[in-house]
Amino acid sequence: MDFAPSISTQSLTRRFGELIAVDGVNLRVAPGQFFGFLGPNGAGKSTTIKMLTGLLAPSSGRIEILGLDLNTHPADVKRQIGVVPEGMALFGRLTGAEFLSFAGRMYGLDRETAAKRAAELLDFMQLADQPKKLVTDYSHGMQKKLAMAAAVIHGPKILFLDEPFEGVDAIAAGTLKAMLQRMIARGATIFLTSHVLEIVERLCSHLAIIHQGRLVAQGSLEELRAGVEAQTPAASDNGSQSSGEKLTLEEIFLRIVGGGRPADQELSWLS
Amino acid sequence: MKSAAVRSQLIAIAELRWRMFVNGLRTRRGKTELASRIIVTSIFAIGGFGAFAMAIGMSWFFVSDGRPEFLAIPLWGVFLFWQFFPVMATAFTNNPDSSELLRFPLTYRAYLLVRLAYGYFDPASALGSVGLLGVLIGVTGARPTLFPWTLLVLAAFALFNLVLMQMIFAWIERWLAQRRTREIFGVLCILFMLSFQLIGPIAGRLSKGPHPELRRDLQIAAEVQAVLPPGLATDAIAQVSQGRLVGGFTSLLFLTMLTLFVGFLLHVRIRAQFRGENLNEAPAPRKVKQARSLQLGWHLPGFSQPVAAVFEKEMRYLGRSGPMLLTLIMPIFMLLIFRFGAMNALRHSNSFARTPDMAFPGAAAYSLLVLTNLVYNSFGGDGGGMQFFYASPIQFRHILLGKNLTHAGVLLFNAAFAWIAVTYLYGAPDIAVTVATLAGLLFAAPLNFAAGNLLSLYSPKKRDFSTFGRQNVSQTTVLASFGMQIVIVGLGTAIFAVAHYYNDLWIAALLFLILAAISIPVYVLTLRRLDRLAVERRETLLAELCRA
Repeated sequence: MDFAPSISTQSLTRRFGELIAVDGVNLRVAPGQFFGFLGPNGAGKSTTIKMLTGLLAPSSGRIEILGLDLNTHPADVKRQIGVVPEGMALFGRLTGAEFLSFAGRMYGLDRETAAKRAAELLDFMQLADQPKKLVTDYSHGMQKKLAMAAAVIHGPKILFLDEPFEGVDAIAAGTLKAMLQRMIARGATIFLTSHVLEIVERLCSHLAIIHQGRLVAQGSLEELRAGVEAQTPAASDNGSQSSGEKLTLEEIFLRIVGGGRPADQELSWLS
Repeated sequence: MKSAAVRSQLIAIAELRWRMFVNGLRTRRGKTELASRIIVTSIFAIGGFGAFAMAIGMSWFFVSDGRPEFLAIPLWGVFLFWQFFPVMATAFTNNPDSSELLRFPLTYRAYLLVRLAYGYFDPASALGSVGLLGVLIGVTGARPTLFPWTLLVLAAFALFNLVLMQMIFAWIERWLAQRRTREIFGVLCILFMLSFQLIGPIAGRLSKGPHPELRRDLQIAAEVQAVLPPGLATDAIAQVSQGRLVGGFTSLLFLTMLTLFVGFLLHVRIRAQFRGENLNEAPAPRKVKQARSLQLGWHLPGFSQPVAAVFEKEMRYLGRSGPMLLTLIMPIFMLLIFRFGAMNALRHSNSFARTPDMAFPGAAAYSLLVLTNLVYNSFGGDGGGMQFFYASPIQFRHILLGKNLTHAGVLLFNAAFAWIAVTYLYGAPDIAVTVATLAGLLFAAPLNFAAGNLLSLYSPKKRDFSTFGRQNVSQTTVLASFGMQIVIVGLGTAIFAVAHYYNDLWIAALLFLILAAISIPVYVLTLRRLDRLAVERRETLLAELCRA
């Protein structure tokens, strides 16, 4: 790979006492990529994204965002990225417009620009109908849309999204996807984690899979598929493969991380 | 649900609280919290011991002297302390929110019991109970045969106080939760304050010459207080001590009925909460889109956009927090109480001859005190928004500067309002008093802000702006802020005493300005250290504030 990466990590590691949540991860994400970061629960996805956005300090390793070392240039990096963290990072007792205007000014926009962009974003996200409603009274989907709006108000070069589609209905998800596609069209890089593999498959051009803190696969969907197929015998028990259909992302994911549960395990009071 | 199951749930909740306490000790912060709690409790215990000793002495004297009806004095003291202390000093109030238990199949009875039990673990309740124990010992010491009856009456009185405190908090929260009820409540508060105006003229009229009607008025007051809870408790003990059992039982019955009535009002509120009441202020969805004008953020001359944005955000948060606003206007309220309440009667005596001079400094000092909750836990109200601060490029020194500007704004507003109130109530404060007080604030505020900023990063606690008195406070913060206030108030008092000694209050102004010349650089230096500290404390802050 001969590109200058938007995001790169070297031996990124995070320990919580005895537990190694992220273990020597080396990531490279090219500019303009729509990058999906996948993994089972507890694999280290959120920990990694927190480290990439400055919300958590790595135990060791190095993070470079847009060629800048995050450890030594945190403010310069943060100025160029947008983040929708797991908890959405909202201020509940502001209205949507007040929060967006606040967010814009915190990223250095002047009052007029911040207010103008806030109004545009509220319209785009279909949140403009109830201007006096406090964020705390928004539905979960509305809060996700608002968090996304706040993350893009300053026109970031990279957008980090931790589970952006979790708990979001189809209409809100459509709005969010439209926003993300616009970001990609203008050359931004998007780094997202999600459990909704169908959406990731449709949106993302490149993927990485983390399992038990280690990066176990990285590349385009085709590269991952080829890798899995190369490792799997032709007489697979998978129906789609034997019938000549391509493996879905879900199948690729399950083969890489393993998804079985002991079939004989039962719950005493439900059996 | 059977009572055995309810008991099992209550035991599980008690075990949960115990496990949370024990698990909390695994961290260094948890251990610091425990040490702070022990120190704070010890300080309260000293005050409690004083009240306890006084209650024993008074009760013993009144009963031995054959005047048990005067037990009303300690009982009114306990009653007023129990009900007013949690409102006036919310920093020391520590009632965890029990609504998180509603997800479990808890019966209403169990939920109510948990709520009352949580309410009992509060300094006001603990000290109130100690005061009542003092009364019990005093009465028993004077007349041992009265022990069982006094125990019963005082237990009923304690229950009344506990239920009343919970009921007041629950209803104030309800009234402050929505704009319309908040406005009605605000008007009622103002009317209540204005009603104090009537006391002044009455007291003034009574203080001039002999007043045969004074005796009658006092008699009426005594009769009125006799039908109120402290009076009923007193009467129940007094009647039985004089052999009038029926009268005693009747008073206890009335007290029980009052407790039941207050309990019913509490039940109405708790029941609504139990059923999942949602008092949000969201207007009904409108089908027609409203025409909107561009909403520009606030401009703060001389400060950067981020600082102005934080200032605006903090002001909006305050404006939308009824409970917090109520706390912040308490200094004005206290002035009215001091002017027209019991202290007024003492102000003509020698020891209070200078009270009017000290009214403005006193109100200003109290204005600083009521800010404690905000200043020493600056990020408490931000909750998940804390992640936003960490993800944004702004430095923490600017965030805290914006917050401190808000605190300073509230302080100045309160001080200005206090000055107007003092002028109206006592006459305009002397120019030297005014300057000395402002210089005092110039010294005290930066010192408080510097300590508050550090504590906000070291011991954060999530705060709910919409609740009243059910905040989760850090004991370390309570201890540190308590210590800081003692130092500041002690210094201020000493400086005013020196100035009074030399009969020149300009000395106080000068001394405060000298101290301010030290405290302001201390504040600036501390502010510069905050960025590094915020990075070091990142995980603790996010873990504490962003949890659901």
